[in-house]
Amino acid sequence: MLSDQRAMLTKYAYIQTKRLKVLHHFFDERIDYPRDLRFKSAIYDFELTRIFSLIEDENIRFHEEIYMTHKYIHLVKTLDEFYLGTKYLIIEVEDSGAWRGEIWKNIIGYGLISFLIFMLFGLYLAKLFLKPMRDSILLLDRFIKDTTHELNTPLSAILANIEMMDTDVMVEKNKRKLSRINIAAKTVSVLYKDLTYLTLEQEKTNHDEVIDIRELVYDRAEYFSSLAQSKHLEYNLDLEDATITIDRRKFTRVIDNLISNAIKYNKRHGTVGIELKERMLVIWDTGIGLNEEAIPFMFDRYIRFNNAEGGFGVGLSIVKSIVDEYDISIEVKSKEGEGTSMVLKW
Amino acid sequence: MVKPVLLAVLLISGASTQLSSSDAYERYCVECHRELPTSLQRMFMRYLLVYGGEKNVKAGLKHYLKYPLKEISVMSDLFIDNYGIKQKTTLNDTQIDEVLDIYWERFKVIDKLK
Repeated sequence: MLSDQRAMLTKYAYIQTKRLKVLHHFFDERIDYPRDLRFKSAIYDFELTRIFSLIEDENIRFHEEIYMTHKYIHLVKTLDEFYLGTKYLIIEVEDSGAWRGEIWKNIIGYGLISFLIFMLFGLYLAKLFLKPMRDSILLLDRFIKDTTHELNTPLSAILANIEMMDTDVMVEKNKRKLSRINIAAKTVSVLYKDLTYLTLEQEKTNHDEVIDIRELVYDRAEYFSSLAQSKHLEYNLDLEDATITIDRRKFTRVIDNLISNAIKYNKRHGTVGIELKERMLVIWDTGIGLNEEAIPFMFDRYIRFNNAEGGFGVGLSIVKSIVDEYDISIEVKSKEGEGTSMVLKW
Repeated sequence: MVKPVLLAVLLISGASTQLSSSDAYERYCVECHRELPTSLQRMFMRYLLVYGGEKNVKAGLKHYLKYPLKEISVMSDLFIDNYGIKQKTTLNDTQIDEVLDIYWERFKVIDKLK
């Protein structure tokens, strides 16, 4: 390495200085300049006048302590006592270049080690800082997982019994009450399905099949009709025949979440529109809408922009994960106070 | 015929200049130093050791010749104790410069090493 070369050159300079000292005392009985096979040297006086030189490269950089030219390494040693009038002693050795490879090896080696150390340290710090956030997310996940297990049986019982009830014999007042129970149960049911999807079903293998979207949309729109009626919403359906190859369970989650959002965040007496064309599905509403800055974050899990409605903020994150899985593009057009339109294209 | 005459004149004038210069050095320096144990050569080497370059050496010498002081002498204490400090020079600047030029040329190291 260059520092080794420097040490060696300094040693040579020391040896040559001693020889110059001797020659100074015996000058001019002795006039033979001291030579050495290991290096070449030159001496210059205070005014940079050459006193004697054996070196090959005479372009000396007097203000640098050590420097390299293309073939040689030079050390410029400044003497405190000017033997033979020498202020600058130049030591020159040939540069074999072997030390450069050594330097590169060391740079790469130590660089990699430092990089790894810093990376590990960074990872440790990141983990340390993110731990509280991760803990709270894990806690929420665990809570949801535990709760959903306990929800299934009573929810199924409620929905099944509502379906079985004979409404013809009921008075109008009770019919309305039953309808409200039905809406509440279906809302909880959608939430339950989202949560079980997130915690239990997400990892299940897909059973892709060709789905008649028109039929599915009709079915799900009808399912949510009681919810829509409660807000006096009307459906505007424009459905052409279209199919898609997808896991039915997953596509149902997408449709359910988009329709239930369109209902939940709609104004009373508003409209929920569903437009189906070949390779495109649009679900729009005339609801509260979102401002543009919120749109990029609306698919994040646990993000909710309106606390007036219930929910965990997981619906759209599920939608996003499913459409991403099937390479379906989702575009959000929203204007505050006017409504939101979700456009799926595949 | 003109050329040999011109050559002779030049040679004579050159030789005479050299003779007068040598004389100046011999006359103003060697005369007194002859009696000292340290040669002018050794003194020159002492100046060289302390001052380094031609201009520095000449400037140092000139200053010492004009204002001799024990404190600025390059000679050893032993030498000064035995032989004292020289008298202040009576030479003018031109004469000093002239003898110093000769002194430098005679004992300089440059071009003498092999």
